[in-house]
Amino acid sequence: MNDSQWARYEVFEQERASAPHRNAGSVHASDAEMALGNARDVFVRRPNCFSLWVVPEAAVFAKTAQEVARDDWYTAPAADAPRETYLVFNKKGQPARETFVEYVGEVKAAAPAHALRVALETFPTQDVFVWWVAPERRVLKSEQADAASMFAPARTKKYRMHTFYPVEPIMRELKSAQGMLDNSEKMTDND
Amino acid sequence: MNDTLLARNVLALADDSLLLGHRNSEWAGHAPILEEDIAFANLALDELGHAQLWYELHQELTGREPDETIFFRDAADYLNIQLVELPKGDWAFSMLRQYLFDAYENVLLAHLVNSSNARVAEIAAKQRPEEMYHLRHTAHWVKRLGLGAAESHRRMTAALNELWAYALQLFAPLENAQALTDANILPNPRALQTEWENQVGAHLTASALAIPAARAPRAKSRSEHTAHLRELLTEMQEVARSEVYGVEW
Repeated sequence: MNDSQWARYEVFEQERASAPHRNAGSVHASDAEMALGNARDVFVRRPNCFSLWVVPEAAVFAKTAQEVARDDWYTAPAADAPRETYLVFNKKGQPARETFVEYVGEVKAAAPAHALRVALETFPTQDVFVWWVAPERRVLKSEQADAASMFAPARTKKYRMHTFYPVEPIMRELKSAQGMLDNSEKMTDND
Repeated sequence: MNDTLLARNVLALADDSLLLGHRNSEWAGHAPILEEDIAFANLALDELGHAQLWYELHQELTGREPDETIFFRDAADYLNIQLVELPKGDWAFSMLRQYLFDAYENVLLAHLVNSSNARVAEIAAKQRPEEMYHLRHTAHWVKRLGLGAAESHRRMTAALNELWAYALQLFAPLENAQALTDANILPNPRALQTEWENQVGAHLTASALAIPAARAPRAKSRSEHTAHLRELLTEMQEVARSEVYGVEW
């Protein structure tokens, strides 16, 4: 490995039980357990997390919708090749803000490309921009039993929310006290 | 129950967390990898949060405000153990120090949640989930560094040889603390030490690290400090005590 960084792990965060896991970003780590811990410290901040998954980036088979259409990425597996569970994710649409690669479900397959082929036959493909599949055995999932120490503490840390810091009102107060407000900055009845 | 005795013991707990958090915060921007920089800063913030809980109880018992207690007390009046005032050293040193302390806190808090003093039990219950996470985090680092490469093993061995006797001071009770143990407010330090040594011994062995032979703590009294504490406090208290910047503190 040329890179001085450790292996990269994609992180999926599930805010509540009723929501799908969403890709929050990635972390570098020496192993999956450290990746899960780092994901918790880097991403579980604002502040709701019900479940966290990490998977080595190298275990993710990714194709854009354009690449999928090109038909040069798939060969059928042998009929007797053993199947295993693959987790399937995709990104739908491309608006300016807040699109995520999101968990859609699982399929059984013999190889990554096979898993994507099965996923394309299983899940709606309209408006999908990107597909990711990864073997479930490579995904490390947080344990619900650990929720109290992994996730609960973040909920009380209001100081991590930008709303905790009312900078504008404080600045107005300071400036006003020093006679520094110009007319455009003075509080109006609309504020 | 003698409030002064309880207040002193609570102050000792507060000082330990405050100074360890402070030493850990010195890694911000300098940790070996970005994710760990964030993680260790989180741990440091947690320790400061824990310290704040104890300083608030100390205020309930003595009337003294936390800022007053933290920024306007001299080194001689601090009640922390020497372990937490030592400079941060290398990464192995800081990881191992935090691990030894986290293991102690996990053992201690498991008892404190059952304290006959409701406030102590309440504070312990708040800290416990965070300390469980700390222990998981630092225990893994100790194992990875111990079993890692020749260099990490060498540095861990050096760190353990230096830290062990300092860590033993965790179990040297404040004078007259027996009354608090008899009243089931604080646990018996001997029992804590046995639990701690069993857990920590097993983990260090699994990390290919040899437990040093020392049986006696480096210092018996929490009022005894190294020169490092004065240096730390001079920096930490500078702004608050400044006539120019500290006026509105």
